[in-house]
Amino acid sequence: MADSPLLEPELLRRLEALALLVRRAVKGQMGGERRSMRRGRSPEFADFRNYTPGDDYRLIDWNAYARLDRFMLRLFVAEEELPLNIFVDLSGSMDWGSPNKAVSARRLAGAIAYVALAALDRVRLTVFADGPASGGAPHRGRRAVHELFARLQSFPVGGPTDYAKLVWPIARQQPGMTVLITDGLGESPIEPAINALQQARQEGAILQILAPQEINIDWTGDARLKDAETGVEREFTSTPATQNAYRTALARHTEEIERLARRRGMRFARLTSDQPIDDMVQRTLRRMGLLG
Amino acid sequence: MTFLAPAAAVLAVTLPAIAALYFLRIRRPTRVVPALHLWPSQIRDRQANVPWQRLRASWLLLLQLLVAAFLVAAAVQPALSATESFAPHSIVLLDASASMQAHDVQPSRLDEAKRQVGALIDQLSPQDTMTLIAVESTPRIVAPTTSDHDALHRGLSSIVATNGPADLSAALTLAAGIVRSAEYARAYLYSDGIVEPLLASFADGVPFPIEYHRIGVSGENIGLTSLVVRPSAQSRAAYLHIQNFGQQSHSTSLEWRSDQGLIDVRSITLAGGQAQDLVLPVPAAATTVTARIAAGDIFSLDDSVTAIARVPRAFHVLLVTPGNLFLEQALRLRGDFQLDVIAPAAYRGASAYAMAVFDRFSPPVLPDAPFVMIDPPAGSPLGGGSAVGIGRVRASDAGDPLLANVSLQDVHVARSQDLNATTFGRPLITSLQTPLLLVRDEPFRQVLVGFDIHESDFPLRIGFPILVQNLSEWMLPSSVPSSSFHPDEQVTIVPESGATSLTVVRPDGSRRSLATGSIATFGDTDLMGVYTVEQVVSGQVDRSWFAVNLFSDTTSQVKPVDRLTLPPTQNVVGMQSSRPGQIVIWPWIALLALAIVIAEWLAFHRGL
Repeated sequence: MADSPLLEPELLRRLEALALLVRRAVKGQMGGERRSMRRGRSPEFADFRNYTPGDDYRLIDWNAYARLDRFMLRLFVAEEELPLNIFVDLSGSMDWGSPNKAVSARRLAGAIAYVALAALDRVRLTVFADGPASGGAPHRGRRAVHELFARLQSFPVGGPTDYAKLVWPIARQQPGMTVLITDGLGESPIEPAINALQQARQEGAILQILAPQEINIDWTGDARLKDAETGVEREFTSTPATQNAYRTALARHTEEIERLARRRGMRFARLTSDQPIDDMVQRTLRRMGLLG
Repeated sequence: MTFLAPAAAVLAVTLPAIAALYFLRIRRPTRVVPALHLWPSQIRDRQANVPWQRLRASWLLLLQLLVAAFLVAAAVQPALSATESFAPHSIVLLDASASMQAHDVQPSRLDEAKRQVGALIDQLSPQDTMTLIAVESTPRIVAPTTSDHDALHRGLSSIVATNGPADLSAALTLAAGIVRSAEYARAYLYSDGIVEPLLASFADGVPFPIEYHRIGVSGENIGLTSLVVRPSAQSRAAYLHIQNFGQQSHSTSLEWRSDQGLIDVRSITLAGGQAQDLVLPVPAAATTVTARIAAGDIFSLDDSVTAIARVPRAFHVLLVTPGNLFLEQALRLRGDFQLDVIAPAAYRGASAYAMAVFDRFSPPVLPDAPFVMIDPPAGSPLGGGSAVGIGRVRASDAGDPLLANVSLQDVHVARSQDLNATTFGRPLITSLQTPLLLVRDEPFRQVLVGFDIHESDFPLRIGFPILVQNLSEWMLPSSVPSSSFHPDEQVTIVPESGATSLTVVRPDGSRRSLATGSIATFGDTDLMGVYTVEQVVSGQVDRSWFAVNLFSDTTSQVKPVDRLTLPPTQNVVGMQSSRPGQIVIWPWIALLALAIVIAEWLAFHRGL
């Protein structure tokens, strides 16, 4: 997997034209291209306020002093980096489908990370299954792209999904943007993770990836079903009636995830693993307002 | 309980086989799915091809085992012992005559008899056979010898009540004919005992015992047994005979009507066994008159009678004779004959006459019509051999209806032509020397007499006009019979000269076409009522009528006979070979299995 590039150079070139769309100002540790909630140095005027001792006198607007006979400070919007957290689900259920959901998730995470790194944002990559595995130190700048891609491709797939174990890693993040890429099919509920995103003041986006074969069952007859994460087996007969029952359960499950996300002001999109990465980025992510 | 096919019990191996199929598990390919908890837990056991699993409680298994068990039980053909013992060959004689329409037992005697016979069929074991005969005016086999219950039931259900009598003699003759020699058979007669008297020939017995099952309980019936229209001194009148055949007094209303409308209604009360004769008026223009009583008794066939009120159509009859007063007077006794008497020299032909009588004269060409040829001259077409002296005169067949009421006891004939060589027809009156009187049916009914009646004392006997009357009615029946016909009685119809079509319209409106070339015999008289005979002559439709009524005291006397005199049994061997019948119950068991199959199908489709 590591031998083939995660994203093609041509795709990377097209991604450079995009930018992450943040709904509210961010507060980063380093300067960047994002509007900060703190006032700072930037060409963009923000406001005036009265001078108080201790303020940087270099910011006094002398023209205003001439007109008003009092000291006024010019305030500018500070441009800071965006803390972007990407959580990628690499549990056993993601290692399924054709094209494989985990491959699509990696490529999607790489594309979003590249857009962020190109804008000098700080990207923290976390993969998870039954627990989070850190992607190492935050990455910043284009130089970190290859390292991030390499790390993204190096994580193995497998194990059960446990969203509850994402609560702490999320809670300790500084406010910013968090993108959660998952199929949402784990037995453990996703709601604790979504709640944690809200409490951590994360501008969240849930990207659910499903394989086309799990949306529409393409086989009939008797089978012994084996859970990809837990290994539990069960006998099943695929008939039009049972297929319909499965589709209903799947739809109800994904609708519940979407409902939870939207109720907490987060963005949600459902993707399929057979979507080309260009289509995912240019169409789905732009339509949901994540990229622009 | 016995089992007719115990070997079929080997099929019971299907039960453990079915259970074994449930021990086997279905070989299912393993499929990895991302989220098992989203998949419904629905499986079906379609087939089993790998061993073994723990037997699970299953409605399907239970129902399939039940079906298999019931099918095995049906296959061994269990049978219950019946109360009735059967001979190897049973002959059921079922009375379907008119009296069996009495409804003193509900719904009718015939239906009750059919119910009892049906129960008898159900007890017939597969090793024994049965023949089903309907006893009617002409008995018929409705189910030939078989052990097939379905065929017997089909034959039984095909029997319907007739309006005719029950000819038990003919039925027993038929039954005796189907019993093979050395075969032990037994007959069952289901009847009310109202049958025609047995022929004397049955005094020798029949080759099987007869078991009489009386059907019916009551004899309370008021019936109309005669209705005749005759001219009285001033006008025509109808004479009606009504009789209470029961033992209790009954009152009823009599409705008297013609085809033109109601004439009279009167109340009549008759004590038990009492009869009454009524004289009723007949309108001049009436074609038919009908008497009907609202008796409300157990037998309705004799509650309505009809008679033809039309004046008979006259027949033109030619008598060619040098002079024969006896013959002329005898022919004039027929009220519907218009007799022309001519001398042989005046004979120009007989085509204008319905019938001709040639006395000691033979025309050059014999007419195509009924005729009587008496003592034809020598050399004529029908002339016989030389005259021979005649001894004792006798009837060829004493039971011939043409000789009814004719006594030949004191009849003497001096001499007659020798008719031994003639091929004219069958002899009716004969002697040791030669046949004296011959009759034939084809092409027309014709009579040849070999002697001059003046050379006999026959014209002086009462039998002579009676014989002339019998022969003339046989050759030329009255267009309106003086009496009614009985159901199933044959009616002779003489087509009009030149008739191009002859049709009989029955009381139910159905039509029967008859040939016009010769005298026709009509036998479809099973329905009671007025029959219309339509003949087309020269483009004109000529109608005549006759009536069919029950008119049978024997049948109206509907009281069932307790002890019917039956023929004795000839030396029957092997009475001990009777064996109990068997009631097969496997069809019911198979039906139950079918019901369970349906339940199993429903259970399968409901996912049990």
